[in-house]
Amino acid sequence: MKIKVCGLKHSKNIKELTQLPIDYAGFIFYPKSPRYVGEEFDAAIPALFSKSTRKVGVFVNEELDVLLAKGKKYKLDAMQLHGGESAEYCRKVKEAGFEVIKAFQMNDSFQFESLEKYGNVCDFFLFDTKTENYGGSGRKFNWELLENYKGSIPFFLSGGIGAQDAEQIKQLSHDKLYALDLNSGFELQPAKKNADQLEIFLNKLELNTMNKDKYAVDERGYYGEFGGAYIPELLRKNVDELQENYLKILASEQFKKDYARLLDNYVGRPTPLTKAGNLSKRYGTNIYLKREDLTHTGAHKINNTIGQILLAKYMGKKRIIAETGAGQHGVATATVCALFGLECIVYMGALDVERQAPNVARMKMLGAKVVPAISGNQTLKDATNEAIRDWIANPESFYLIGSVVGPHPYPDLVTRLQSIISKEIREQLEKETGNPNPNYVIACVGGGSNAAGAFYHYLNEKDVNLVAVEASGLGVESGETAATITIGDIGFIHGSKTMLMQDDDGQITEPYSISAGLDYPGVGPLHAHLAVSGRAQFLSATDEEALNAAKVLAESEGIIPALESSHALAVLEKMQFKKDDVVVINLSGRGDKDMETYMKKFN
Amino acid sequence: MNRIDQLFQNKQKDILSIYFPAGYPKLEDTLPTLQLLQDKGVDLVEIGIPFSDPLADGPVIQTAAKQALDNGMTLQILFDQLKDARKSITMPLILMGYWNTVYKFGVDAFLAECQKVGIDGVILPDLPLEEYQEEYKAKFEAAGVHNVLLVTPQTTDKRLVTIEKAASGFLYMVSTASTTGGALQASKEREDYFKKIAALDIPSLIGFGIHDKVSFQHAASFSNGAIIGTAFIKALEKGNAAEFLESLQ
Ligand SMILES: Cc1ncc(COP(=O)(O)O)c(C=O)c1O
Repeated sequence: MKIKVCGLKHSKNIKELTQLPIDYAGFIFYPKSPRYVGEEFDAAIPALFSKSTRKVGVFVNEELDVLLAKGKKYKLDAMQLHGGESAEYCRKVKEAGFEVIKAFQMNDSFQFESLEKYGNVCDFFLFDTKTENYGGSGRKFNWELLENYKGSIPFFLSGGIGAQDAEQIKQLSHDKLYALDLNSGFELQPAKKNADQLEIFLNKLELNTMNKDKYAVDERGYYGEFGGAYIPELLRKNVDELQENYLKILASEQFKKDYARLLDNYVGRPTPLTKAGNLSKRYGTNIYLKREDLTHTGAHKINNTIGQILLAKYMGKKRIIAETGAGQHGVATATVCALFGLECIVYMGALDVERQAPNVARMKMLGAKVVPAISGNQTLKDATNEAIRDWIANPESFYLIGSVVGPHPYPDLVTRLQSIISKEIREQLEKETGNPNPNYVIACVGGGSNAAGAFYHYLNEKDVNLVAVEASGLGVESGETAATITIGDIGFIHGSKTMLMQDDDGQITEPYSISAGLDYPGVGPLHAHLAVSGRAQFLSATDEEALNAAKVLAESEGIIPALESSHALAVLEKMQFKKDDVVVINLSGRGDKDMETYMKKFN
Repeated sequence: MNRIDQLFQNKQKDILSIYFPAGYPKLEDTLPTLQLLQDKGVDLVEIGIPFSDPLADGPVIQTAAKQALDNGMTLQILFDQLKDARKSITMPLILMGYWNTVYKFGVDAFLAECQKVGIDGVILPDLPLEEYQEEYKAKFEAAGVHNVLLVTPQTTDKRLVTIEKAASGFLYMVSTASTTGGALQASKEREDYFKKIAALDIPSLIGFGIHDKVSFQHAASFSNGAIIGTAFIKALEKGNAAEFLESLQ
């Protein structure tokens, strides 16, 4: 849920508020309001808020020219139209480039059908209490009326919200409720907000948990219709134990401290956000690379294994099982097991053992036992089956899964552990450009863990375009592909309801990609949900396109990417960017392990 | 009356149940194998629906399932093979498989076929109980198809209460923490677990690791009977299925 604070005016007061998570700052340009900014309002005052706070001008039946002029002068992002403005008027404001928030006054006889004509010309509605004087009454309306709103436009809830309302707000479940509009309930005097009271209120709302709602798992591990825990009874107790413990442990002070310390001085975080100057020139935009390739062991996988090994330790587990495809997760698991002195068994498809020999050697040197999976086609899917079978036979072990796949809670657990990626991107971008939000975040998807981490803190930021790139192998039509979202449909794999590649009889088919890390016939349930809901765009890149993109990056920026990450880079060729767009690519790993493949292609 | 319920009404001890994958070793072997099992006095049969990724199965069943798939086995072919089975087969028949194949086939279509060919129950180890109860239970009941539930040595007492309430037909008592085909180790703990489940209000059969007369009789002494899978598949592979069944008598 977003927060709008309205009726702002004084610079000193605003400076007290800039540290709070305020998404919209409202300035009232209606002369009859007690919170009217006045004739001489200084244009520098709205600019005290950072770019991530959108500035809203509130107008009542204003002349269009006057409104547009004020919009320009005060660099407003959105216009809140609080009078009897027509749909036509709204359309003109929207065409002038402003976000339009149309306010309506609620009482028991309000006709929600009357909103229909505003559907195409407004970004948001705002529902306020009906009064004589265009809002500002300090009274709430009957929120049960909201149940009658069945439209598709998200809305702001306004009118008399005060500190005492936090609990009631948390109970509201309307799926179009987008933001809260706070004003008189948090004032010392008109237009002067009580920053302390606001802060306490916002903490009470637990926005961080609420904000993830739409794309977060529910209690049973579903993202929309995807996820769950489709496991045999044999695994029930293990999975239940993990479900019951993971959030508690992740939230504990001890975990937070240990995890942060290890990420900092063992993994080498934060990883840099590198502006790729030559690449930016080549594609006529602003490209940043999130450098997961610079972590210890060379890929994002270690963010997850550090977190899960701590979880295993707190749960008293002594034996660790993992699956691996490219070997990156296997190496990252072997690494943390060595660090914590735990037994480590890594299942790896027999074919991958051959394809990724350097990583097999690394795991062995780190003291792990590498077991080739000889069932099925002997790649990642089969390694995962074998790891799960081991877990069935050894229920006291800890299964340290490598991506956002598997039964609940694994997809959520791994997403949370990888979310450090987007947390850092936000901070780094804000420093670099003044805006934590880029226009695009692009990441490759095998199971989807690096993408989930890179997307996480942007899931509810609708101005950020999320782009997921699957491996299409020899081409989606060739049959030799791993582009699950493009050619797959709904099914069940490794304990999760998700999109997967299968034949008409429900047999899971074998994926193909040149990159062992993307060679998986399923995709994490979060991604299935992001694809089906349209929140993320799913593209794909072929072997050939990925190889070429790797060469381009190596030659233009001096960075050799992992073959997996090269798939994300490859879509730069297919997308159109504006000159001032900010594009972040998650460079999930480094290319050392892929040198043999690269040499074959380029020598 | 459902043939499973009838069986448990008529017979409380030493019920022998056999598992084998459909379409194995040859595509057309399903029906002849059923006939052999009936002729040899088997009480109950679980026909495996072959799946590409059988998570709860050990190497023998995995290989057999792969063989069946390579033979061209599908769920539709299985139903076609069973079309006239009820002309001669009177044993209760259960289909055992993984949820993905059933879901993909379509639950309604699946149940309609089950009714048509005379299937009495299903075992779908990876369909969670909660999802089953909320979305599918009514349909299975309307079709007269029992959804047989599994309990394992790890099943907590709390969950056991839930499972007992939801169970229909009988409980599939998994003997050990293992995939199919493991060895059954006798221990005081194991016997306590068997006794606890046997004391419930619903019949139970013990499976996983039962492979010959001795292990069958041991298991059956704690329950209403036992299930043999892997050992029978090995016999099918060697071509001595009849001898194997006789050795159990
Ligand atoms: C460098 C790198 N990137 C990406 C992946 C794909 O995994 P995920 O989709 O979970 O990020 C892998 C997997 O091995 C990898 O090693």
